Parts: sequence; structure tokens; C-alpha cells
Amino acid sequence: MSAPVKLMIVDDEPHLRSSLTFWFREEGYDVLSAGGGREALTTLVREAPQILLVDIKMPGMDGLEVLRKVRETSPETTVIIMTAYASVETAIQALKDGAYDYIVKPFDPESVSRLVKKAAERYTLLSENRELKARISASEPALITAGGGPMAHVLELVDQVAPTDTSVLVTGESGTGKELVARLIHSRSPRRFGPLSVVNCGALSEGVLESELFGHEKGAFTGAAARRRGKVEVAHEGTLFLDEIGDVPPKVQVDLLRVLQEKQVTRVGGNQPVPVDFRLVTATHRDLEDEVAAGRFRQDFFFRIHVFVIELPALRDRQADIPVLAQYFLGRFATAMNRKIGGFSPAALAAMTEYPWPGNVRELQNAIERAVVLCKGDTIEASHFPFSGPGPAAASLTLASAEEAHIRKILSTMGFNIAQAARALEIDRVTLYNKMRKFGIDRP
Amino acid sequence: MKVRLLHTADVSPGHVRSAFSGLAPPLVPGEAVMFRGSLAACYDRSRAQYDAFSVLEAVPSPEPDWLNLLLVGADLFVPALTYVFGLSHLAGGRGVLSLARLKPPEENDLTETVLEHRLRVEVAHELGHAAGLVHCVVNDCAMHRSLWPESVDLKNPEFCASCRARLPGPG
Ligand SMILES: [Zn+2]
Ligand SMILES: [Zn+2]
Repeated sequence: MSAPVKLMIVDDEPHLRSSLTFWFREEGYDVLSAGGGREALTTLVREAPQILLVDIKMPGMDGLEVLRKVRETSPETTVIIMTAYASVETAIQALKDGAYDYIVKPFDPESVSRLVKKAAERYTLLSENRELKARISASEPALITAGGGPMAHVLELVDQVAPTDTSVLVTGESGTGKELVARLIHSRSPRRFGPLSVVNCGALSEGVLESELFGHEKGAFTGAAARRRGKVEVAHEGTLFLDEIGDVPPKVQVDLLRVLQEKQVTRVGGNQPVPVDFRLVTATHRDLEDEVAAGRFRQDFFFRIHVFVIELPALRDRQADIPVLAQYFLGRFATAMNRKIGGFSPAALAAMTEYPWPGNVRELQNAIERAVVLCKGDTIEASHFPFSGPGPAAASLTLASAEEAHIRKILSTMGFNIAQAARALEIDRVTLYNKMRKFGIDRP
Repeated sequence: MKVRLLHTADVSPGHVRSAFSGLAPPLVPGEAVMFRGSLAACYDRSRAQYDAFSVLEAVPSPEPDWLNLLLVGADLFVPALTYVFGLSHLAGGRGVLSLARLKPPEENDLTETVLEHRLRVEVAHELGHAAGLVHCVVNDCAMHRSLWPESVDLKNPEFCASCRARLPGPG
């Protein structure tokens, strides 16, 4: 890991010093403290902290004097002044004298966290980037590739668009990793320090979706006993990711379009617009042009989100990546289940490469997990996969596969009407939706 | 790492149970105990809040391979800040977490499911600090810093692969 940014708290009150020290350590800073101006200047020479938080009112050498000395001896050091309400005028003087900013005690954790982070960015930008890349790649199996091929092209597109503020539409079959691409775009953008606010629009009814997106005021509808910020508002200074955008009802499309145009959001039942600043990433498994032609998707909204399109390849279209991915999942599940399984038999590899994987990477992951459970030796055989081996009898042995088959049957009986199917199965819609995701069941 | 969940009387047994049942690896439930100490000295009359640093001092240091987390219903602050969700002794094995901000008064229609999710995420978060983790850049990792209670809803009560790798315990 990169060296953390060094921060020094300069305040004559020991209790304030210790508690702020604890709090900033949680943020990942290397925190020093000094009880007065002289001590601060000595520590500055010895430890070279990059950021100083200095109380303006201290006995002996006060904050302004510390600031001037620091500006003289170590001009690249960032100084933030802490002040009580009464001395804001002096704080303004501090800005003239070269302080980075000032904060009034007591300050909100979010504002001081943002302020110090912004100051620290000057020192960490490069190393944070490197670290983030390493962390992301450790947690994004769907994007693993054997090199070259369609997925490598996707990653190039991500790198191209991520640093901009352009709206991105990610398309692809279910299970291809659309959400991962959205996360990757966010984490490689200048907004990566802001939130990534995710809404799965397909899982929610119109009323719930509106309130989830835009929030609501107290008493906006029955059950809205209190104010709540929506996901759009929470996305402020970050990225808003709307999954299954093709499932958004026209009325909500209109509302979203207005938010995008006016860059402000009004909570349901409210009349006070709140300014919002976010980058939009959307995803769908549907063909939106077809949806527009069929009159189910508004053309103006389509143009707004269809700016930069990233199309994710189906797993069967990147066969070269299958062995690498399979080996990755095998390693993960074998470790988790404490099993010693080294690899796949040639027949198992052939079976995986030939199978069309309608549920894509997610289905592959489930298949490997199941195979690790079934495997008694040190090699995964073709018979451990539900789609090959001694026939369908083996596949229907597990509870999960029986559940999947039952859900598929009910769904097709109900013409893929989610509400009806959920009622028939006596589970709620979100549970059904999650199960469909898990089994890689797509609405036709 | 075994978790000892201490709690004050104003935290419901149901919340203690759900915090316990939601622990993600490598955290495992150890024991849940009612906190017997007095926090009266930590109360700041002028702010009508409890001083998180003093409360933290009252949390006993755990034995090796254990983490002690105190759950309180009271609102917490540290002198320069208006409030804190919680505070931990980084890598010191102990921390304190308040439920007060997870369910702000203006959100009194918050469903129990949402509150339980927030509780599990922030319990993992504070325990992560107590075990030595700092804030994480991965957005849905429990160690990501939340600005508002609603932002807690964006996180998982689990550690990302990278944070996980920094914690002791079986892979
Ligand atoms: Zn934290
Ligand atoms: Zn993490």
C-alpha cells in the first residue's frame, strides 16, 4: 500500500486532540498532534506532515502565527484553520494569509472529511489510483480475460469514457457483468471519492421506484411518515447507476429526464428542488431501440441516456476466457470449502467450452460452485456439471435445481408476469427477481 | 476473530441478535453481554450527547483474537464534530457504535429490514476499524465511509476482497 498522508492536529485541548486523532486514523491518515504552536513547528521539521489542522485560538503562539511560519518555512504544506463561531473574521484573515480553508467548530463529519480528502488528493492521487486498480481487479471475476478478445475491448472503452462525465449505457445479456462495468467506470472516474448510488429499476413497482429514486417528504403518501433522501440525491458528487433501465415506466422516464435536464431533484410530495450533480450510468438486457419502436420507451429519454454505449459480450462469444474464469472460480470455491481440487479434466474443459451459457458468467460461477460440492477427487469431471454427464437425473438431485425448474415453469405458465408468478410462488417480487438473477432466468 | 457485543439497556435484544447473526467472515459471534458500567460521566449536558471518546475509554480491552464492540442507543459526538456514528481504537480491538444516527428521527417510517441492514453494515465497519482496517475506496465494502445514513444502504455488511486480505483468520 502507498504511504498514507500525514496529518497534524494542533490544538491546546488534549481531549479534542485525542478524539480527532482517533477519528482521522479511521480515515486512513497517519495522524500526529501538537499541543501548541512551538511544538507544531518542531514536529513539522521532523515529521513533515502534508496537512495541518490548526486551532486559531491558542495560548502563546496563536493559529495565525503558526500559519505564517508554516507558509515561510514549508510553503507546500496545506493548512486548514479550525475556529469557533466567534472568530470567523479572523479565519477570513487566515485565508488571505494563505490557509487552504477554515472550518467552524463543531463541524459536520461529512464536511471535514470531504475538505481534508480534497486537500489530501494533491498528495495521493497517483497512489490511490494504483491501489484502487488492484482492489477492483481482485473483486471483478466477470472481467477476467485471457487477453485480447471482446472483453479486452470493453475494458479499453471503460478506460476511454471513465475520466469524462459522459452518460454511459451498458448493454448485454443477464449475467454478463453489467453492474461490474458500471462500478469500474465509477472507480476510474474523478468521482470515485463520491458515492456510487445503485437502483435496480426492474425489481420495483412504479410507486416504490419513484420514492426510491427521488425520495419523499413526510406525509407524501400513506406510510411516508418521514422524510427520506432518494438514490438520485444520495448520488450527489458521485455516480448514479440505474440497472434495468429498460423496465422503467414512461411516467418515471419523464421525471428522470427532467432531473437530468435541470440537475435538481424534488422529493415526492415536496416542492423544494435540491441541486444534484452526478454522472449517469444505465444498463439493460433489452434492445432499447426496439422498445422505442414499440412505444414502450420514450425517444427523448433514449437519446439522453444513449450517448456512449458499451456492449458486453455473452460468455459463449468469448470462449477463450472460459478456462481462465473457471480456474478462477475453482480456486475461490475450493479455498472457501477447504477442498484440494487442482483443475478440470479435458472432458470437463470441452463441456464448458461447448455449453452456450445462457446465464453467462453468473451461471458459470454457480456451475463451478456446484461442481466443487459434488467433486470427491482432485479433478472436476464433466459429470459434475448439470449440462453434461449421465443425463438430467443428476441435475435434478439438488434442491437448487428443483427450485430453478419450478420457478421457470411457473414463470412461463404466467407468461412471465412477475407479480402473478410471485403470488403463485407465495414469495415477494423482489425475492423472485433475485432468484431469477441467481439462476440466470431472463424475461423473453 | 471472535466478537463480543456489549450493549446498553436501550438497545433491543432483537437488534443485538440481528447484529450478531449478520457477522461476515472472518468475524464470528462470541458472546453478547449487557454493559454494566456507567456512562453518566460521558454525558455532555450542553450538547445533550455522549462523548464518544470517553465512552470508548469505558469499553474494556479484549483478550487476543477477540474484538469488543459496545452498542449504544445514545447519540455520540467528539469535541470538534457535531456527531459520529461510532468510534474505534484503530487496531486496538475495541469500538463503540450508536444506533441513534442509523435511524434519524425524520426517518421514523424506516422499515426494520433497512435498519437491520444499516446496523449490520456499521457493526462490520466499526469492528473492521477495531481490527485495524481504515476506510476503503470500494463503494459497497463495509469499510467505505458513509456520509449519511441513507448512504449506508449502498454498502454490504461484508468486507471487500482487499480488506478481507488485511484481516487475520482463515482465507
Ligand atoms: Zn469509519
Ligand atoms: Zn474494502
